[in-house]
Amino acid sequence: MIGYYFRLAFASFRRTPGLGILMVLAIAVGIGVCVVTTTYFHALSGNPIWWKSDQLYAVTLDNWDPTEPADPARPTLPPDQLTYKDAETIWHSDIPKRTTIMYRGYGIISGDGVNGPLKPAPATTRVTTGAFFPMFDVPFQYGKGWSDSADTAPEPVIVISHELNQKLFGGIDSVGRTIRWNDTPFRIVGVLAEWEPQPKYYDLTTGNFDSPEDLYVPWKWGETLNIASDGSSNCWKIQDITTFQGFAQSECVWVQGWVELPNMLARSRMQSFLDNYTNEERKHGRYQRPQNNRLTDVDQWLKDQKVVTSDNRVLVGLAFAFLVVCLINTVGLLLAKFLNAAPLSGLRRALGASKKQLFLQHMVEVSTIAGAGAVLGLGFGALGLAGIRALYAMTATSAHPTGAASLMYLNVSSFVTAVTLAVVATVFCGLYPAWRIGRLQPAAYLKNQ
Amino acid sequence: MNVPFRPIVSALFRNRAGALLVAAQVAIALAVLVNAVYMVKQRFDLIARPTGVDENNIFVVGVTGFTKSFNYAAMLDEDITWLRSLPGVIGVTATNSVPLSGGGSSDYVKLTPETKGGRQSLVNYFHLNEEGAKTLGIKVIAGRWFTREEVQPPGANLFAVYSGPIVVTKEYADRLFPKGDALGKVVYGSSNQPLTIIGIVDHMLGSWLTGVNYPSDIMYMAFQPSGPGTRYLVRTAPGQRDQLMRRVEAELAQRNEGRAVNYVRTLKLYKDRSYLTARNMSIYLVIVTSLLLAITSFGIFALATFNVSTRTKQVGTRRAVGARRLDIVAHFLVENWMIMTSGVLVGSVLALAAGHLLSVQYELPRVDLYYIVGGVLAMWVVGLAAAWHPSRRAAGISPALATRTV
Repeated sequence: MIGYYFRLAFASFRRTPGLGILMVLAIAVGIGVCVVTTTYFHALSGNPIWWKSDQLYAVTLDNWDPTEPADPARPTLPPDQLTYKDAETIWHSDIPKRTTIMYRGYGIISGDGVNGPLKPAPATTRVTTGAFFPMFDVPFQYGKGWSDSADTAPEPVIVISHELNQKLFGGIDSVGRTIRWNDTPFRIVGVLAEWEPQPKYYDLTTGNFDSPEDLYVPWKWGETLNIASDGSSNCWKIQDITTFQGFAQSECVWVQGWVELPNMLARSRMQSFLDNYTNEERKHGRYQRPQNNRLTDVDQWLKDQKVVTSDNRVLVGLAFAFLVVCLINTVGLLLAKFLNAAPLSGLRRALGASKKQLFLQHMVEVSTIAGAGAVLGLGFGALGLAGIRALYAMTATSAHPTGAASLMYLNVSSFVTAVTLAVVATVFCGLYPAWRIGRLQPAAYLKNQ
Repeated sequence: MNVPFRPIVSALFRNRAGALLVAAQVAIALAVLVNAVYMVKQRFDLIARPTGVDENNIFVVGVTGFTKSFNYAAMLDEDITWLRSLPGVIGVTATNSVPLSGGGSSDYVKLTPETKGGRQSLVNYFHLNEEGAKTLGIKVIAGRWFTREEVQPPGANLFAVYSGPIVVTKEYADRLFPKGDALGKVVYGSSNQPLTIIGIVDHMLGSWLTGVNYPSDIMYMAFQPSGPGTRYLVRTAPGQRDQLMRRVEAELAQRNEGRAVNYVRTLKLYKDRSYLTARNMSIYLVIVTSLLLAITSFGIFALATFNVSTRTKQVGTRRAVGARRLDIVAHFLVENWMIMTSGVLVGSVLALAAGHLLSVQYELPRVDLYYIVGGVLAMWVVGLAAAWHPSRRAAGISPALATRTV
């Protein structure tokens, strides 16, 4: 029977092809806009480390100005980064399974590449403890990270990104080679595999969708070579800072701190550790705001830091309003089409088709239209996403597509969206017209013939 | 022409569903249209604000000295002298951060030297040299810009403190000294160092174009930025920028082996990047809203066509008993107008509700009422245009049809 209904649907399409195409187009445009918007939204609101999101905690302490919060727009939150000395205190705690303290520094790469001396060029650098790699599940193509002892010594070891390895060494296994970072020789111990976590949850301060750094060097190199933050640093207290040491001892926040806590017990122990620490500091005149030390897991961190902006939510709302208009439009067209063909339906009723069968027949026709709309809608969606990538590319400063643009492709969720919306469209658009056509009195139409 | 409202209303009620569907579309379309236009307008205003700088003729060069024995101060002198010697260059300054770029520095300024009590205000600051104003293209409206002698050599490191003459924007001068007597006054930085206001410039947008309350609160210091890296701003004669950028890119690195040339970029790129989100949002809103209007007008058109085609016989009868073509056109247009009007009435309420929701939920400014008036007029026009062709077709129906059985 269903096969027969499909044939009827095609026959009906052939009777009024123009109307059929318009309905498919209306559904397709509606679904296309929704696919683009939800793919975009999904990308922005993604959690790139969802599998261990509840074990990774951003550490924030409220060392800010007693008279005003760090961010007046979010007065309940502590500053989003740590002071250098507080970060080191956390690093020295043995409660977390792992601790990463880090910041973005500047670096110039020179030395010898595969084809002779390299042209000195800037490379973004993360000055970090070695726990960074196992903690954030960073994949390696060659070699590995460094041990804890390399952080304190510090040892001249360096990890480079996949992209930089391509650029400097043409992608070969460069582990063991030496390059110069800020004119100091470093031995390459690891080359990352392609890795582009978006949003860049572990450091949102230089942009939510910034790319990971090109280079990673052990923590104490910052102090040894006086490499200050190349990312964001914020100060509130009037302090006479003239040296790196002064900056490290100041109330300025510029270090990101993360701890890996495998269970709730570890979490509560860490929380008391932080509270005890700030209580102790309070006695020495620091931490004059109400106690507000936070361990925030990745999910909550992305929410707190407003990675998804209100604009993004507005876009989703708009897309669905748009879809509703497209669907209402289709309902109107279907109604017109079915009523125009009412004499045919009357005839089928007179020949013995039940109301239920007529209803089913028309629903099959609607679902065919919606299905075609979904397929075409995915096509429109792909076009729209290409458009978004082009918009991003216009102001890109590096050649390879990075940041949010790297996520603007159709993915599983786009397909799920399209299929779901096609079902919604079928039900929403088809129910009323199909029901109405089933209720018609066959006699009225037969007489007219 | 006399428009018989009663028959139109009763005809409408015979096909309630179609009319309701179109009215619903019109209502949603109006709500979206009004709010989208309003949001686009806000973004246009944001992007169209004058930056105060000659943004189309400035480019930015980033350099970093990286060798251990690197002489940063000497590099600054050599580079600036060389850049200034290039034909077509109007002004060159080193700067601690790039205006309009979304990244920069700010500091607290106080009216009194006390650490506690005195009112602090946060101000965006730039370290520039004697050609700073000329390079940016900002106008000094009171006092003067720095002289070459006043420009202090770079500090030993990033935390070096500046003390000496400063220039401020008019906006910031008026915020510090509402009476308008800022010129000559001394204010204090966060290390309590005295800063004397020697000049006031008319207007400029600083480092942050979005997300700050006072984008034009700026103070300029006569200071070479600290090393080991810096940025140069180079202003060129109109039309010379791109050619000079290529030349600088090719030649600058070779002039000093101890430093890397990180990039040579237009200032316009930084501005565009700062407005990227606002611009993309506008483009998206405009596209989706246009599609929405297209779909809606097409729905109106389809309904009118359907109404005409199902009433061929009635129209023929009316024509046969004396209705003129004009009466038929009027009938369908008025019918359409009634549907549109019920749609825009509901739509206006929806638009207000959506505007309210946006302003409460997302802290966006509430939509102005005249946007709704404009939206209603626009929808009427769209409705009339969409129903025009089907109504004309109805008028073409021959009275002879009435006598036949269809």
